Amino acid sequence: MHTHIITGKDIVKVYGEHQEKRNVLDGVSVKIAQGEFVSVMGPSGSGKSTLMYALSAMDRIDSGTIHFDGRDVSNLSENEFAHMSRNEMGFVFQQPTLLKNLNILDNIILPSLRDNRKQLPKITSQARELMKKLGIADLERRNITQVSGGQLQRAGICRALMCSPKIIFGDEPTGALNSRTAQEIMDIFTAIHAEGTTIMLVTHDAKVAAQSERVLFLCDGKIVSEISFPRENGMNLEQRMQLVSRRMQEIEI
Amino acid sequence: MYARIIYNDIARNTVVTTITMLFIAAAALLVALAAVLIINLSGAMETLMREAQTPHFMQMHAGPIDPAGIDSFAQQQPDVLEYQILEFLNIESAQIVIGSNSLASNVQDNGFSVQSEHFDYLLDLDNQIITVSDGQVYVPLCYLKDQTAAIGDELVVKGMSFTVAGFLRDSQMNSNLSSSKRFLISANDYEKLQEFGEIEYLIEFRLHDLSRLSAFESAYIEAGLEANGPTITYPLFKMINALSDGFMIAVILLVSLLIVAIAFMCIRFTLLAKIEDDYREIGIMKAIGLQLNDIKKIYLMSYALIAVTGSLLGLALSYVFKGLLLENIRLFMGESDNTALAPLLSLLGVLLIGAAVMIYVYRILHRFRSISAVEAIRYGGSQKRPHLHSRLSLNQNNLVPVNVFLGIKDVLSRKSLYATMLAVLIIAACIIIFPQNLYNTISSKDFISYMGVGSYDLRFDIQQTDSIPEKASLIAQALSADPEVTASAVYTTKVYTLITDEGSREQITVELGDHSVFPISYAQGSGVSSEDEIALSSINARELGTQVGDTLTLLLNGSPRVLTVSGIYSDITNGGKTAKASFSDPSARTMWAVISAALDDPSLAEEKTRGYAELFGYAKVSGVDAYIDQTFGSTIESVRKAAGAAAAVALAVSVLVTLLFMKMLIARDRYPIAVMKALGFTSADIRVQYISRSVFVLLIGVVLGTVAANTLGEVLAGKVIAAFGAASFSFTIDPFTAYLISPLMMAAAVLAATGIGVSRAGHITMIDHIKE
Repeated sequence: MHTHIITGKDIVKVYGEHQEKRNVLDGVSVKIAQGEFVSVMGPSGSGKSTLMYALSAMDRIDSGTIHFDGRDVSNLSENEFAHMSRNEMGFVFQQPTLLKNLNILDNIILPSLRDNRKQLPKITSQARELMKKLGIADLERRNITQVSGGQLQRAGICRALMCSPKIIFGDEPTGALNSRTAQEIMDIFTAIHAEGTTIMLVTHDAKVAAQSERVLFLCDGKIVSEISFPRENGMNLEQRMQLVSRRMQEIEI
Repeated sequence: MYARIIYNDIARNTVVTTITMLFIAAAALLVALAAVLIINLSGAMETLMREAQTPHFMQMHAGPIDPAGIDSFAQQQPDVLEYQILEFLNIESAQIVIGSNSLASNVQDNGFSVQSEHFDYLLDLDNQIITVSDGQVYVPLCYLKDQTAAIGDELVVKGMSFTVAGFLRDSQMNSNLSSSKRFLISANDYEKLQEFGEIEYLIEFRLHDLSRLSAFESAYIEAGLEANGPTITYPLFKMINALSDGFMIAVILLVSLLIVAIAFMCIRFTLLAKIEDDYREIGIMKAIGLQLNDIKKIYLMSYALIAVTGSLLGLALSYVFKGLLLENIRLFMGESDNTALAPLLSLLGVLLIGAAVMIYVYRILHRFRSISAVEAIRYGGSQKRPHLHSRLSLNQNNLVPVNVFLGIKDVLSRKSLYATMLAVLIIAACIIIFPQNLYNTISSKDFISYMGVGSYDLRFDIQQTDSIPEKASLIAQALSADPEVTASAVYTTKVYTLITDEGSREQITVELGDHSVFPISYAQGSGVSSEDEIALSSINARELGTQVGDTLTLLLNGSPRVLTVSGIYSDITNGGKTAKASFSDPSARTMWAVISAALDDPSLAEEKTRGYAELFGYAKVSGVDAYIDQTFGSTIESVRKAAGAAAAVALAVSVLVTLLFMKMLIARDRYPIAVMKALGFTSADIRVQYISRSVFVLLIGVVLGTVAANTLGEVLAGKVIAAFGAASFSFTIDPFTAYLISPLMMAAAVLAATGIGVSRAGHITMIDHIKE
């Protein structure tokens, strides 16, 4: 029996005003189990990123409820969200959102240092370990304009992992990378997941989605379909990809 | 198409565009006003001096006079057009009461005159020559200005009563800087009043050709005519008349310069941010070989619109405000003739401001050249690395909180961005502290050392009276009999003719007496130790080109006497041209005498002053504080006011610039702020980061500003005060105001502005920025 880390119920998110009002999320209900690896796919404008930011409580919702790890997070104050995101969540974005005037190591340790400046040595050595693990150990003093996109994304993942998060949210984390680098990043996510971390990725790449355990398909603000890849079903990556692509084509038609 | 793009540009940055435009408007306003003031001041002054027929050369003289000698000199001099000898009846100010106001505390030398016959007329407010009837008095304009007198008031002097019939413009003595003031009464009344005052003569000449003035001046001195008093020439009258309004014009121009600098800062900031935004487009245009001039044109046109609107607004406002500033000139000098020039010059000034803005924008746009098409297309921005201070790493920072660290780090890695704010804060700190130091210096007791007098407690001044030496010795006797007086000395000032190396003659006033009793400090050399020595004030030494050890030849009772220069000292009194010697010479007439005394207990000074003032009615008795106050009181007061006004302006500018800067900074940093917030930083964290930046820049600014004001400011003030006769100069700094109060005031102002400026920093929504 899975315990659910995220439970979203009847989520509605409205954009625009007056006549141009549009329900980007139109009564979505979703559950993500502890330790699960979920991908969200859908055509452009289907609301997949909006769903992710709503579930992470980064964005406000107009109605419905969201529970994270047993707590109601539907209407968190800014400070409550900040505290939660620093300590329990990790975010990886499409563009590496690193600060220009800090070097790679400083960028990685920044969020963790905010509350625990006294533990600087411990935090630094944890960051170095993560960097080593993700293959960017020799880049710690580099400026962010001196490294490649893939290396930046690894640094972004290191940063997300620093607080040993309960869940990692990824918004098109491979969207700006070439296919080889993208696969390297996906290997990292798979490894993180194998260690027990819950992962939710938004993507439009069937190959990325096919590497998760469950794919949610979103269209016009609703979950219209879902595919599960239980470990025991024995399909290889190629077969999973074809399945995901076919389902996407059906939705888009 | 251009119109649409420009409109969008402006609409996107309404606040900053409006503020930039307002700064340009303010600068244009001030320059236009300065232009109007310059034209009106010079025009009105010309008119007044022409209508009044101001003398070209005037010798004031106290004592007996030989009109026949002057007449024959005037007849022989081909340069003289006409001459006259006027009388100025000096009346003790305490004897003059207008309405319910006594002039007792007035520092001016007030006196009465009749209307001149030939020139140097006293004019009414329509610049017409006044005809005054018996029982009437016309009062100097300064008493209208300070509301001492009004038309219809009764003026009582020594029991004689007059009705104030109007106010007069005096082309010689209008200015507050001129220490004498003439009241105009009828010849009959003057005759009756004569016995109550001391007559001083104004020996006045007008020449055929003003350029012959200095030749005429030498001729007058060589003729050995009456000269017991100051000599004033036409250019000096002009300068005195122009000085106070001229000073205002200088201040206005200076402030407008500061405002232009701030406007430039706004422009630089917005324009650089815009170039950054448009980097990709500019790069692409460059790559496909399009003319950069087209996109440059768009930038230029938006700023041309801002510059033209601002300039026109400033010009329009100058018409509203000019009346206010012209009031003083109109009152003291009347209307100007060539006012038609004023709008033209205003327009020229405003055009200059507009042109300066456009040139500045054009120069910034030069950056287009350095945009790399490859970088722009590949990365969408400049890949120029921000300078990372490797030693300033978060992973080595144990000392300061993370938010403070991020603030400081940002300032250090984007120095050029913060340089403008730093510059403004440094200038503001200077503007606050420099006038304060100046005020403290001239109001301090030590300032007396710049006035060529030693340190004493009591001072007796005897002037404008007869038998000065006898009166002085009476006082000296009384002082030596006073057990509480520890030392006293009599100094008499006389005028001598000095023969220069070239053989020409000049006049020099020499203070005679025992200068060892109250020694002063000498910038070079030492005080006189024998009767063959003379010490010179620094201006005298400079003008005569003499050094310590050189000799001077003075005519004593007609025969030459050679004196060796023993020392040079600072003196800013009497136009800075004084000398000290110890020879005795009873033959020459004493112009004035000063008796100085030291007290056993200096706290008795006030009591002693009162006692001696009653005893010796003919002497002006004052303690050293009162003396400084009377000599420099009005200067000290205006410096105090100016210091206050300067501090207020500097604080206001700091607030405005900080506010603007923070707003622009946050607009520019929207993306990193959004990233921070996504990483779990709160709005409060962001605010702390921005406040840290501001505090960091503030600290540097205040420290550098204070150091600059105390060092460069001292050099500057020293240069100015040297022109008045000080040989060396150092600030008297009040550490409490200079190092505590002023920095705290600035800190409070800047912090408040930062607080307001960053209050919305946390409202940046991360979703809009993170989502692609």
